[in-house]
Amino acid sequence: MTQGILIYAHNNRTVDYALMAMIAGGLAKKNLQVPVSLVTDTSTIVWMKESNIFSQAESVFEHVITVDRPTTDNQRRLHDGQTGQMIPFINTNRSTAWDLTPYDRTLLIDSDFFIFSNSLGEYWNVDADVMLGNAINDIYNDTRTGYLDRHVSDTGVKMYWATTVMFSKNSNSKLFFNTVNYVKENYTQFADVFRFDPRQFRNDIAFSIAKHILDGYQQDDALSLPPVLSALDKDILYSVDENSLTFLIDYRLTNSYCAASISGVDVHIMNKQSVIRNKQALLELI
Amino acid sequence: MDKQLEEALDFANYQQTFSIQKKVLKERISAKLTYGFNGGLFRIDRNLLAFVDMLCTKERTSGVILLDANENPVLVEDLNEFSEEIFRRYFEVTNEYFEQHQKIKKSRSVEKLISQ
Repeated sequence: MTQGILIYAHNNRTVDYALMAMIAGGLAKKNLQVPVSLVTDTSTIVWMKESNIFSQAESVFEHVITVDRPTTDNQRRLHDGQTGQMIPFINTNRSTAWDLTPYDRTLLIDSDFFIFSNSLGEYWNVDADVMLGNAINDIYNDTRTGYLDRHVSDTGVKMYWATTVMFSKNSNSKLFFNTVNYVKENYTQFADVFRFDPRQFRNDIAFSIAKHILDGYQQDDALSLPPVLSALDKDILYSVDENSLTFLIDYRLTNSYCAASISGVDVHIMNKQSVIRNKQALLELI
Repeated sequence: MDKQLEEALDFANYQQTFSIQKKVLKERISAKLTYGFNGGLFRIDRNLLAFVDMLCTKERTSGVILLDANENPVLVEDLNEFSEEIFRRYFEVTNEYFEQHQKIKKSRSVEKLISQ
């Protein structure tokens, strides 16, 4: 049975997702000892070549899978510490992972999820067709996250985090990804039923609802991946060295920062610009 | 600023960092104590260690069914081998936990805390 990691990256004018995917892929390959493949589009590849990272990307990724760039008017406000801006968010094709993956057992990760341990390696052989990240796990504590980080809406179902998804390629998981796609294509109707805000498409919501439906319209946490340790986008990745990542944590979300460092744990870094600022040091780790 | 207040604010800032360092260390240790085996997922804790040790003492070591962290039944063909692995992991990880925890406790400044 082949095992591997799949990462999607579609650049926009503000965020170099391809570069982040290369860092995430390199770290995942190094720490989990499995191959990594990239799903991207032609214009992102052109940018990778122009910015001279494509040859390194070819050494990180086993396959570079080219797909049509999703058309979307999805917009999202992303912070970089205290500042923030609206950026296009091209992420609506995650439901194609089942068809595109070259592996029998796939770990699908976001390009801003960085693997520094082999913890997820314990899940390769778990007897479950699809597993999602169980919840968000704020690097500070749970005072900074709210009900809507744990549920799709005020009255809706539990929210899983599609930052990490592990699946086997079989008929059950195919049904799951078909359902995710169905939720995506009928997002406003599902928004009426599950009472979430449909203005911005979120994979977390589409995956959570698909799981809820296929679990028989009930919550079943039994088989899921560990909660996703996350530094929020108001936090800043300050520096990187071979032993640790140092963050400035906005611990009250009021622009009051304290320092913290992490090592040997997988981390979801939502402040993408601070990842880009530390690209050189991160690339040296892969 | 009053010197006492400044010291208090410095200490408060130190405490924030201290608590994050402790939390992240706990996360790391907890992840290392998760053990995937034969389709199941085990949390290596005192309950599992004691139960497995008791079965080994009673020589119930072949073809044993254990309930994993999700209460799913998992077949363990050779419980001695399983026992050796979970005890090895437990001691390795808790030793690391102790060492790292001591370092954090002894670090009396933010600079020292984040350089651990």
